[in-house]
Amino acid sequence: MLNFFNPIVTLLLQEGLRARFDLMRYAAANPDLSKFLVIGALLFIIGVAGVLTRRNIIVIFMSIELILNAANLNFIAFSRYLHEMGSVNAAAGQIFTVFVIVVAAAEAAIGLGIVIALYRNKETIWVDEIDLLKW
Amino acid sequence: MQKYIWLVPLLPLIGAAINGLLGRKLRFSERLIGGIAVGSVALSFLISVAAVYSYGFGGHAEWPKPYVTSQDGFSFNWIPGGMVSINQGIQEHMAVEVHKKAEEQLAAMTPEERAQRPAILIGVAETPRFALLNIEWSYQLDPLSSIFMLIVTGVGLCIFVFATGYMHGEAGFYRFFAYMGLFMFAMLVLVMGSNFLMMFVGWEGVGLCSYLLIGYYFDRQEAANASRKAFITNRVGDFGFALAIFGIIAAFGSAQYTEVFEQAKSFPIELLGHWGILSWIALGLFVGACGKSAQLPLHVWLPDAMAGPTPVSALIHAATMVTAGLYMVTRTNVIFQHSQTMLLVVALVGAATAIFAATIGITQNDIKKVLAYSTVSQLGFMFMACGVGAFVIAIFHVMTHAFFKALMFLGAGSVIHGMHHEQDMRRMGGLKKYMPYTYWTFFAGWLAICGIIPFSGFWSKDEILWNAASTTYIPLGWIVWLVGTIAATCTAFYMTRLMAMTFWGKERFLAGAGGEADEAHASAYDKGLAPHDAALPSAGDRPRHEPGEHVGPVHEDVAHHVVTHGHAHEDGGHGHGAHVPHESPPSMWVPLAVLAVLAVIGGFVGIGPAFRPVTGSEHPGGRLHIVNWLNPIIWNPLTREFNTAEGGHEAPATEAEHTELVAGEFVQAPYRDTGFNLAHSVNNATHNHLATEWIFIIISLIVAGTGILLGFLFYVWRPQLAGIWAQRLRPLYNASYNKYWVDELYGLTITRRTMDVARGVFAFDSKLVDGIVNGLAWLSRQLSRIVGGVDKYLVDGLVNTVAAFIMRLMSPLFRAAQTGFTQNYALVMVLGLMVAVVIFFARDIITAFGK
Repeated sequence: MLNFFNPIVTLLLQEGLRARFDLMRYAAANPDLSKFLVIGALLFIIGVAGVLTRRNIIVIFMSIELILNAANLNFIAFSRYLHEMGSVNAAAGQIFTVFVIVVAAAEAAIGLGIVIALYRNKETIWVDEIDLLKW
Repeated sequence: MQKYIWLVPLLPLIGAAINGLLGRKLRFSERLIGGIAVGSVALSFLISVAAVYSYGFGGHAEWPKPYVTSQDGFSFNWIPGGMVSINQGIQEHMAVEVHKKAEEQLAAMTPEERAQRPAILIGVAETPRFALLNIEWSYQLDPLSSIFMLIVTGVGLCIFVFATGYMHGEAGFYRFFAYMGLFMFAMLVLVMGSNFLMMFVGWEGVGLCSYLLIGYYFDRQEAANASRKAFITNRVGDFGFALAIFGIIAAFGSAQYTEVFEQAKSFPIELLGHWGILSWIALGLFVGACGKSAQLPLHVWLPDAMAGPTPVSALIHAATMVTAGLYMVTRTNVIFQHSQTMLLVVALVGAATAIFAATIGITQNDIKKVLAYSTVSQLGFMFMACGVGAFVIAIFHVMTHAFFKALMFLGAGSVIHGMHHEQDMRRMGGLKKYMPYTYWTFFAGWLAICGIIPFSGFWSKDEILWNAASTTYIPLGWIVWLVGTIAATCTAFYMTRLMAMTFWGKERFLAGAGGEADEAHASAYDKGLAPHDAALPSAGDRPRHEPGEHVGPVHEDVAHHVVTHGHAHEDGGHGHGAHVPHESPPSMWVPLAVLAVLAVIGGFVGIGPAFRPVTGSEHPGGRLHIVNWLNPIIWNPLTREFNTAEGGHEAPATEAEHTELVAGEFVQAPYRDTGFNLAHSVNNATHNHLATEWIFIIISLIVAGTGILLGFLFYVWRPQLAGIWAQRLRPLYNASYNKYWVDELYGLTITRRTMDVARGVFAFDSKLVDGIVNGLAWLSRQLSRIVGGVDKYLVDGLVNTVAAFIMRLMSPLFRAAQTGFTQNYALVMVLGLMVAVVIFFARDIITAFGK
């Protein structure tokens, strides 16, 4: 687990631009999966936090998009990584990403439709005023 | 072209599938249905002709080698049977080995040593044998199957064309042609299959189609009963056939004809009274043949099968299906010829059937019944030929019989059609004037079946009788000949009677309506009911006649009828009986004409050896002569090999040739001494082989003439004589008229007894078995009442109390958890996810922190 977070710690503790540039150059030369995963994890955490804490349903939707994009990022990263590793079937990740985008678009369309229906009935889009799931 | 013979059975099947599956749904017109059916059969026929031509006469002719499609691309491993143990016929297998080793040792000796006839000691151990049984679906083209292919598709084509006219107006038109196409498929599989199992498939298939077509008018009790009778009687035969197939596989480890016969041909011959494996197999096969070909104990279904439409009688119950037994016996002639006992049985059964059915035919009044008994009788002739060892001649008779009997059945159909579904010959007469085409074609068929000289029936029937008289295969050949000769006289007599009652003499059809007619419309009118089909207008498959509607050929002008023959309608009040007969449409008489031509000239492919002064050779015409064509499939007991292609060995060796062979080549006579032999006795008297043959030909012509003259005497010149003699021979007449009470006998001894057994078993079932079951049910009901009480009051009470208590206690807790806020649920999910992650990575976390 700590190994997993090591790149983050390294990144945060970098001192000086030079070292940072070195790192970037190194990263360009040697594709490193961990950084993408870190970004993805951050996006995911932000998304989850948004879903859990925000009251506005629109913002919750946006947070969900973040979560989905975190997943997309992972897909792409793994796809690229596997490609570099010589896998012949690396395109699958990209295809999945496209799928996720399409599904996300569809989901957003339906979700916003639900939001509008909800607003017409309840006159609110604040989720803490909506406890319909209880029934 | 041989490559494409798999299309021959397939095309009628496709036609049948189209007609049967779509015909009703898409409301095909009669023209379309008929076109599909006739077209598919015609294509099959063309392919058959092309295939047989290229097989027998083409540039790369393979005749007489059997051509099996699996050797040329079309193969399909139908039943991968795996390893089978050959546990039957061990004695015979060992005998074959001993024989082979003895020959090897003899060959190794010098001539001097051999001349001393030394005793040879050979030890053969009984070793377990195995074979890899693989049954393929492949078609075989050989001399025998090619003849049957041509008969089935050729005669079938004529009958299909006829049926388009005859069945005109039936609402079940599509169904009829679907069944007929299916029948063609099954029959072609039967005759073209390359192994016994395919033959069995075809065998059962034709049985099924026969059942379906006899019961075509299934709403008539009589037809339904007849179809069941045919099916059940055939089951008896099929049982024997199936056992024989098991026996063949157990003895030879294969079902492929070529392999089985290759092994069987060197088996020792089983003489009279000796029951080896081949005799048992032959017995099973012959039981099957008896069922299918209506031989004596199992003949009862065929006359009843006339309840089907007449084209069915012509195709299935005269020309093709009933000859399947002959096909099978000839196909397995190796096996039959190995068993002298079974040859004798075949000959005697055939002779008995021939005389039995012929005598019944004399007194029947229904035109189709006469023809049915004639068919049974002719089939008896064919089996007679097989039994005396003249398999080729049997097939020759199958062929000529297919021509003239199909012709006569179709002619009878034409008469029935023209007489408006009247089948009783007592109400016919004088039809010559009204139905000229039918009359003249029927005339040709009559001459053919009576055996008048250039017509086809003569050649085959005479050869059968000659072979019976001169057989060296079995004893009692002279009895077979005598019985066959008497049966031939009867045949000529009852056929003349049929001609006289139908076509000649006084016109009796104006006298009255009805009669004991068999066809669908007429029988319903007899009972004074509405037509059978009008009784249930909702049933889709019936002709849509209204009660009282004119039921007759559609092309006829009803108004014209009423004007010209109004008096008939006045008393009858319905469309039957007193019609003036009319000639049938061209679709019906053209096939008749084609078959008539075949019935006249068809015999020339089998001109007998007695005509060698005229034709220049025993079997003139090379391969075109049926004996030369078929000889290679016939096993020769003298050489113990199949006949060579151009060998020209006369099927049963006469004694002179026989002794010559025995003397010349030290071959042991295969069937020993067979006792008194009529032909040889005559030969000894005349000292001239040719004269002997001619004596028998003249005898058979004389008996045919006698039969015809008697027929003329009784039914044309002195019609009152028939009644007088029927009075004088009352017991005989009754016996013949009532078909020797065989049906009654079977009813009494088998059917009733089976019913009694069934009733007994039913009583056992309903009293004892049901009693036990019901008693147990009663017991468990009582028990369940007790258990139910306990459950209801004790267990349920307990459960309810506990449940109520728990519910009261726990419900506030669970209710509180359900807040209804989305985010609460999401939070719980996230927490759960985190817990899951932690659990999943527990080991990693511990190591990481440990480090």
